[in-house]
Amino acid sequence: MKKVLTTCEFCGCGCNFYLGVEEGKVVAVYPSVSHPISQGMLCIKGWLGHEYIHSPKRLMTPLIKEKGEFRQASWDEAYQVIANKIKQTKAQYANNSIATLSSAKCTNEENYLMQKFARACLSTNNVDHCARLCHASTVVGLATTFGSGAMTNSINEIERADVIFVIGSNTTEQHPLIASRILKAIKNGAKLIVADPRQIQLANLSQLYLKHKPGSDVALLNAMMNVIISEGLEDKEFIQQRTENFEALKATVAEYTPDKGSEITGVPKEKIVEAARTYAQSEKSTLIYSMGITQHTTGVDNVMATANLAMLTGNVGKECTGVNPLRGQNNVQGACDMGALPNVFSGYQKVADEELRNKFRKAWKVNLPPEPGLTVVEMLNSVLEGKMKLMYIMGENPMVSDPDLNHVEQALKSLDFLVVQDIFLTETASLADVVLPGVSFAEKDGTFTSTERRIQRVRKAIEPLGDSKPDWKIITELSSCLGYEMNYDSPAEIMDEIAELTPIYGGISYKRLDNFGLQWPCPTPDHPGTPCLHKGSFSRGLGKFGPASYKPPREMPDADYPFTLTTGRMAFHFHTGTMTRKAWALDREYPKGYVEINPQDAKELGLRNGQIAKVISRRGEISIPIKPVDTIGRGVVFIPFHFAESAANKLTAANLDPVAKIPEYKVCAVRVERG
Amino acid sequence: MKILNKSNLASFLEGLKSEFKVAAPLHEGQDILFGDLDSSNLATDFVGKPRFSPKEYLFPQKERLFTFREDADVEIEAHLNESKKVIWGVRPCDLYGLKFLDKVYLSDYVDPYYQVRRSNTILMGLNCNEAEESCFCNSMGTGPFAKEGFDLLFTDLGDVFLVEVGSKGGEKLVEKQANLFTNATSKDEAQAKVLEEKSKKTFKTSINLEKVKAKIDAASANPVWAEEAAKCILCGGCNWVCPTCQCFNVDDIRSGNETQRVRYWDSCQLGGFTQMAAVNSRATQAARLRQRIFHKFSYNPDTYDGQIGCTGCGRCIDVCPTGIDMTYILGRIANE
Repeated sequence: MKKVLTTCEFCGCGCNFYLGVEEGKVVAVYPSVSHPISQGMLCIKGWLGHEYIHSPKRLMTPLIKEKGEFRQASWDEAYQVIANKIKQTKAQYANNSIATLSSAKCTNEENYLMQKFARACLSTNNVDHCARLCHASTVVGLATTFGSGAMTNSINEIERADVIFVIGSNTTEQHPLIASRILKAIKNGAKLIVADPRQIQLANLSQLYLKHKPGSDVALLNAMMNVIISEGLEDKEFIQQRTENFEALKATVAEYTPDKGSEITGVPKEKIVEAARTYAQSEKSTLIYSMGITQHTTGVDNVMATANLAMLTGNVGKECTGVNPLRGQNNVQGACDMGALPNVFSGYQKVADEELRNKFRKAWKVNLPPEPGLTVVEMLNSVLEGKMKLMYIMGENPMVSDPDLNHVEQALKSLDFLVVQDIFLTETASLADVVLPGVSFAEKDGTFTSTERRIQRVRKAIEPLGDSKPDWKIITELSSCLGYEMNYDSPAEIMDEIAELTPIYGGISYKRLDNFGLQWPCPTPDHPGTPCLHKGSFSRGLGKFGPASYKPPREMPDADYPFTLTTGRMAFHFHTGTMTRKAWALDREYPKGYVEINPQDAKELGLRNGQIAKVISRRGEISIPIKPVDTIGRGVVFIPFHFAESAANKLTAANLDPVAKIPEYKVCAVRVERG
Repeated sequence: MKILNKSNLASFLEGLKSEFKVAAPLHEGQDILFGDLDSSNLATDFVGKPRFSPKEYLFPQKERLFTFREDADVEIEAHLNESKKVIWGVRPCDLYGLKFLDKVYLSDYVDPYYQVRRSNTILMGLNCNEAEESCFCNSMGTGPFAKEGFDLLFTDLGDVFLVEVGSKGGEKLVEKQANLFTNATSKDEAQAKVLEEKSKKTFKTSINLEKVKAKIDAASANPVWAEEAAKCILCGGCNWVCPTCQCFNVDDIRSGNETQRVRYWDSCQLGGFTQMAAVNSRATQAARLRQRIFHKFSYNPDTYDGQIGCTGCGRCIDVCPTGIDMTYILGRIANE
């Protein structure tokens, strides 16, 4: 049996394992014992989630739609059809009538090429990806306060923290190997504070659990800061030497007394006070958050509030502390780093900056557009406005993942032309005019960047199935068809170009990544990488307090829609389920969706466990089995978004944070009825 | 008893390749995993055990059982693995694990897939001169030196291996390459005894197995189950690395008119395991954790003449992301 060391394709933990290969097929998994994160352990998806690789449903050839039906096609024909359509669209409409979606499931090299394809070949900055839907607010919020929108510290540092404050992260289910560090820290004597509208597993293992109302995060964090300042627990030296704008913060949080905080959040004020004291008084407090903070119309405010709390207490820029946004996808950090975003090139270099644009113009030998492009939801809106005509989607499934799916469907169907590059005929690919078969992570070389900014190798274990091709190869071939030559022999060569143009990846080369990768910033070939950011000074110089006032979620429950719907993931499935629902063990655990509801609410509605209910919002309705659980508060319901047939996102609203443009997946108003 | 110079181990194993597929612990990057013999990466002096036992040579993670094609007739093709294998470097805990699997798969109901693999496999044990942090085979009576279950058994005496013959099959392999071996002296055997006693002193954990066995049936209401299960994140790792876990699930992979019937390792810790009327009859995680321990220490001895289903290898402790520790649980039961 051949064994190939590679990086897991599911979450952002970045575990490494060996794939066991026999007769050209993946037949076994062995976690790497010496890898710093996996340490011989994996979660259920890491152990059993890879069955989809050999699913008979894999796409094996390009498909072209004719009279509503797909037929198989050669690569040459598919490329020709796409190239002609792109040329035609560009000739007839503006360059900005075309947009691409890149993929947090794909490698860094592929994301780099996709944004290069959009900018250099298609002459548009309309390139975005699902980071818009998960951590856009982190990128903005932490860049504003710290100067760098990524996890400040490293995963293993959590083990040695004194206090761990988890807010809006269901870590045991979504980042299991990071949760393992939290449990280790508890065993070492650390205190755990959990704030979450649902009484998640970590809440049961915590010293202090704050069950705040969905969308009340700013009020909770401001009230904690109010306590810290009024009791004189702030780190005065840190504030004075390392930060600016403190007086503004002080003024803003002054009105958030524990009483007021309690009134907005529903958390008893004694708990707010205790949480504030515990977090502020320890030597090393680390803050961990995820989508519970980011997926709000106040996402950027929420993120800045976490940063404010950390700066206020001097808990940033030293080991075992920091503000640690956990990135959901295997390579969502990397896809952002690579500039698969409408406003930046790789390494967060702004497209609007003339000097930087010139640098890329010289390297890519083509003029580049200066105006930032559209974000995911804006692209779809633009389709319905009749401006966007053609979309090219790689490895994303907006027909399940994006908010307000009826609207998404309407938009995608209104396009003149849709190209989807994927490994399965997803709900989105079914709507395409041409479908191109990419490959799974097991069939290609490349790199993923984990949530702790660790750039790691993905190694090819098996040959591409059928006529499918690695995604990087497809992009280069299509680009060349369009007259913009992209010639790379291997992903390693693409990484060399990335390193040349991207200061934070400047010292990265495949040769250096063999020993479980490097953490950016890594500017030079002899730089050891950076496990802990902002030591001595912040990326932006001084840390800047970003005071924010509480604003309620855009859509609050009312008489017609009396429940607050919050959405998310679960341990056994990943995102739109295209991969995990094809793995027998994961599918067996949860073959279908469910709606969590407080047992008392269920009783009053006359709904029993397993009964099919209708959940209705202003945008759509779904039928879904009821799951009464006492871990959720009265008036709140939760639906995992993995299941297309009972899609939570038919209900969610595309209400966006004004700056980050992230949709408010965590709060919308619904009604629950007997089905 | 024979003596094999350490420098001759690779030649001995290479010499077997004409007749057998040879598996051994190999340095795989910075890890140690069983794999097809590659003398340049052969691991001989590691402490403790590879994270995976060699169980999967007899009972793989994923095993194709048969393929059937539905044309005019139904055609069935079985996939029995009849290749002849030697596994070198099997630790005493794992020898016990395989002996236990033999009981499960070759007693009342004979599993043909296991049987074919097993009857074609020669096991070469390697005694442990030192215990790893998580090891507790000493308490389970399965190690650190093996007493049975091997065709050949190697003990590391420094520059040489003492080789004990445990079966006719093992003896034949020594005879075939007799030039590589010399006869052991009583001094060599005495040195092995000393090493065994020394090794026994390196264990960090001690479990009173008799107490556990005596008390386990009364332990069903022990609070330890709920306390420990509260941490479980349902990865199934304790099952995947266990040398005696033998549960599997069967699935059909259908493509056109061809279907492959495949079996996979399964985990009793999952909600989807052994569903009856759509649910696992052990509704809580605490009940599932209790089942795993009861199975090994109560039900297995009842079924298999007192043999426990735990080898004391400690892999389930090493693999658990949340620190659920078999020895801690056994301690709680014994000291109740």
